[in-house]
Amino acid sequence: MSTALHERPAQRQTGDGGINARRAVIRWAIRLLRREWKQQLLILTLITVAVGATVVASTVATDSQGPAAGILGTAQDAATVTGSQAQVNAKIQDLERHYGKVDVIENESVQVPGTVAAFDLRSQDPHGQYGGPMLSLLSGQYPATASEIAVTSGVAADFHLSTGKSWTVNGATYKVTGIVSNPENLLDAFALVLPGQVTRPDTATVLFDAPGQSAYSLQNSTGLPVSTAQTIANSNLINPETISITAAVLGMLLIALVGVGGFTVIAQRRLKAIGMLAAQGATGRHIRLVVRANGAATGVVGAVAGAVLGFVVWLIYRPQAETSADHVMGVFQVPWAVIGISMALAVIGTYFAASRPAKAIASTPIVAALAGRPPALKKTRHLAIPIGIGFLVMAFLLFGAAGAAGNGGGGSGNSPLLEVAVGFIALAIAIVLLSPACLAVVAKAGKRAPIATRLALRDLSRYRARSGPALAAISLATLIAVLVCIIAAARYGDVLDYVGPNLSGNELVVHMTGNQGPGSVSKNGPNGPGQNSSPPVSLAQAQQVADKIAADLGTTNMITLEQASANLNHAAAGRSWDGPIYVATPQLLHAFGISQSEINPDADVLTMRPGMSAESQMQLLYGGGGENPGPGGPGGNASQLPCDPGSCLANPPIQEIGQLPSGTSAPNTVFTQHAITTLGLGSSITTTSWLITTPNNLTPAQITTAQQFAAAASGMSVETRNSTPSISQIIDVATFFGIFLALGILGMSVGLVRSEAARDLRTLTATGANGRTRRTITAATAGALAFTGAVIGIVGGYIAAFGFFSDNSRDGLSELNSIPLSNLLFILIGMPLLAVILGWLLAGRDPAGIGRQPLE
Amino acid sequence: MSLLELRNVSKSYGEGEAEVHALREISLNVGQGEMAAVMGPSGSGKSTLLTIAGTLEVPTSGDVIIDGRQVRNLSRNAKARLRRQTIGYVFQDFNLLPGLTAAENVSLPLELDGASGRKARIAALSALDRLGLQARAAHYPDQLSGGERQRVAIARAMVGNRKLLLADEPSGALDSVNGEAVMRLLHDACKNAGMACVVVTHDAQLASWADRVVFLRDGRITDQTAPAQGPESLLAPEPGK
Repeated sequence: MSTALHERPAQRQTGDGGINARRAVIRWAIRLLRREWKQQLLILTLITVAVGATVVASTVATDSQGPAAGILGTAQDAATVTGSQAQVNAKIQDLERHYGKVDVIENESVQVPGTVAAFDLRSQDPHGQYGGPMLSLLSGQYPATASEIAVTSGVAADFHLSTGKSWTVNGATYKVTGIVSNPENLLDAFALVLPGQVTRPDTATVLFDAPGQSAYSLQNSTGLPVSTAQTIANSNLINPETISITAAVLGMLLIALVGVGGFTVIAQRRLKAIGMLAAQGATGRHIRLVVRANGAATGVVGAVAGAVLGFVVWLIYRPQAETSADHVMGVFQVPWAVIGISMALAVIGTYFAASRPAKAIASTPIVAALAGRPPALKKTRHLAIPIGIGFLVMAFLLFGAAGAAGNGGGGSGNSPLLEVAVGFIALAIAIVLLSPACLAVVAKAGKRAPIATRLALRDLSRYRARSGPALAAISLATLIAVLVCIIAAARYGDVLDYVGPNLSGNELVVHMTGNQGPGSVSKNGPNGPGQNSSPPVSLAQAQQVADKIAADLGTTNMITLEQASANLNHAAAGRSWDGPIYVATPQLLHAFGISQSEINPDADVLTMRPGMSAESQMQLLYGGGGENPGPGGPGGNASQLPCDPGSCLANPPIQEIGQLPSGTSAPNTVFTQHAITTLGLGSSITTTSWLITTPNNLTPAQITTAQQFAAAASGMSVETRNSTPSISQIIDVATFFGIFLALGILGMSVGLVRSEAARDLRTLTATGANGRTRRTITAATAGALAFTGAVIGIVGGYIAAFGFFSDNSRDGLSELNSIPLSNLLFILIGMPLLAVILGWLLAGRDPAGIGRQPLE
Repeated sequence: MSLLELRNVSKSYGEGEAEVHALREISLNVGQGEMAAVMGPSGSGKSTLLTIAGTLEVPTSGDVIIDGRQVRNLSRNAKARLRRQTIGYVFQDFNLLPGLTAAENVSLPLELDGASGRKARIAALSALDRLGLQARAAHYPDQLSGGERQRVAIARAMVGNRKLLLADEPSGALDSVNGEAVMRLLHDACKNAGMACVVVTHDAQLASWADRVVFLRDGRITDQTAPAQGPESLLAPEPGK
């Protein structure tokens, strides 16, 4: 057999092989991914889920808004015209003259008898050039003559209509020809007639195209309020696309951090093959390219799989999303730009995640690589700590600037979103840079621990190329949860600007005025009929209505709520009182089980708002200085500086009484008889509302009936529990989410971290260590990572919060007095305990296969 | 003309009391068409000698000259190019890339050197054909026997007209039949293609295939000798030989 090869098979190049060489190593990297995809399942799954979640979340978030808020149709511009019919016609002609073809939609609001709801009598051309997409025929046909009408299903239900029936509305009788809807706003309740059939329109919307003209210039030239897609988008401060991209960036950052560890282990497993590649003449660039190409290929596969998965989930979820958003959503009506960016981020993220191990592997001596010896452990870069601290300071300052901007400090009054976003990025970078150093501290702290724990902690420090990014990812996951907890606690802990559910589920407030609270329901949604113009009812009539509602609800537990011409406020700038303050009548005190003996004779105010009695600089404004804002109303009057003794009482005695209800519309704060007497407020007391409490939570039917009773009496309204979550709901969800995310990352990271020390584990096993030792090592690794991540997350969260709330224009750092202690303790202790338990349960297998070099 | 020339090469690892001298003042010349076997006990520096000769490691002192080029003056990339174009390596444990077929493994050095995939593949198939492995060209390493893997590795080390072939215990993981077949291939490569070969082996019988046997002990060359007889085959001679 001859082995001589005499021919020159291919022309050689003098450089590093050019594109042919790169193609060869990329081919190998992709081939390895195909063959060893199971070893990369972790990262692939992460990317797939992240991209899939981005596709679904961004599509739902974007589509939920509806196309141009359901008012533009296919037009670029919409002008709203009001006034007399002659004025409206003149304006329409003017617009037609300037911009050519226009589409006019005229609306007249019509009250549904006996309710606060209303619908629109609408004239619109069903086949209009611009308004066509805002109409959809569900059954029957569109009106063709002046005596025909089509209605939405909601109107049909309210008036028991069906196709073919006659219906008299606004004095005219129509024949119902069909059921219609506005696909861009399914809540839109209207009755459709032919154009020109609405005789007294409240508004006319003129749809037209004015290419190249901004809403501002159109408003100037027409003198009319003009909406464009841009103005509608601008009215939404937090753009869903922006949120989606921000979330995608954050998610991909977490994945990239986990990916660094994963790609390092994978590269290390291929160390001998990579050494062989170098022995064959591959340059450092080729070797780096192998690892990076593997990372990018993983990103591409994960991104494509995620996009497909996300789209499938979107197809399944779309019907439900349409129901929730009250408008039709197209199958392909997805934010392609966001999806494209998230997919690109996935690829870029994995590419850069693979870059660090690529660099490390490429610098490994070839002989060491051939022998399968991992690269020498690197010490933490000395510059990482000062640079990390620098970013920490930057984050603090940026959050401070965000806090100032949010409060209008410095006269900026700008949205603090940019500062918050950049501050968060700076904080994330600081955590990434400082995490490895924290592991060194952990290793030192555990030097007197038992051998298995000590070994685990020391390995975390030794193999910090893996454990550092993992710790950073865990810390970031915890940080998100901690920030939500701190901000929610700070916001809910503000005893002046009090937030939370307005009422309990079994409470209902009947208001004398139509100034409905946040829990009131309007069938027409945001474009409802407006206020009832009927004259207000008398107190006796209102009392009768309230009694009737209570009787219908089967309860006698009703309290008359009275208000005085007085209010509370705070002397510090930027802090103001919010919420109604009622009078502590004997009936009210009795209803909540408060005896006179419990009340401090000198107290002017009773409240359940925790910590309010300790507030300094409080002011009680009365006489001409105080005007109670009423239920759900705006904040109180401006504070007086200095406090005028004739109309302002500085630091009124405030007593906290836990029996008072906590709802923001409930009498959570009341003026005592002492205040009424000493400040002479008796003559200003008026009855405003009635609080009715039922044994069980109110049903929708009971609420509807109560609303109808109130609507029947001119101007009255009822208020029931709104959808505002309680603080416990927010922070519990955030805590659960943060712990779930952190444990997920931990579960993925621990295996990677421990696999690097698999050789040591085999040695340990050979020297007699049993499964218990291996379990202890894994559990200690998981517990230490979780605990350190929790500490970093909490410290990082409080640094951000201190920065944000440190603005001096507010009342110092009082917001941070409310500490969500139980949730933070659960994160700090519960999460590491869970990690230890899970680590213990899932570890302990025979290490023979761990860290095997799968060369052939 | 010497293709490989080592002049007073020393290599030590560690520092101070932990310093280990793997090679001490080694000088060795291997010419075109010459096959040298390196023998010695474990730890004598055989593999170190080979890695230094293959530019995989840098000597602590001394000069390495390959095909007339002073290795010390070369950059990392230039050394990589030298390995691609001049040096072929055969390892004890084959070291084929697991994700590539036999043909792709053989064509890899050419592709790394910039050859187009098509031309590299043609050359690889030709090399495999000459080693009797064309039928196994599309197989992955884990689908090949040990002997086949090492033959693929030899094809890879020779493809592209390399001038220096370094083999580190190429038959170490093979049975005696396959081991001798491998030595025969290396011998043929050396004699027919004019390559300079350095083969590290423990097996004196296999070393007898070499023109010269270099004995190492404690990092020093203790003896250089030509085998008294030619190749000693345990196998039946090939037809025609």
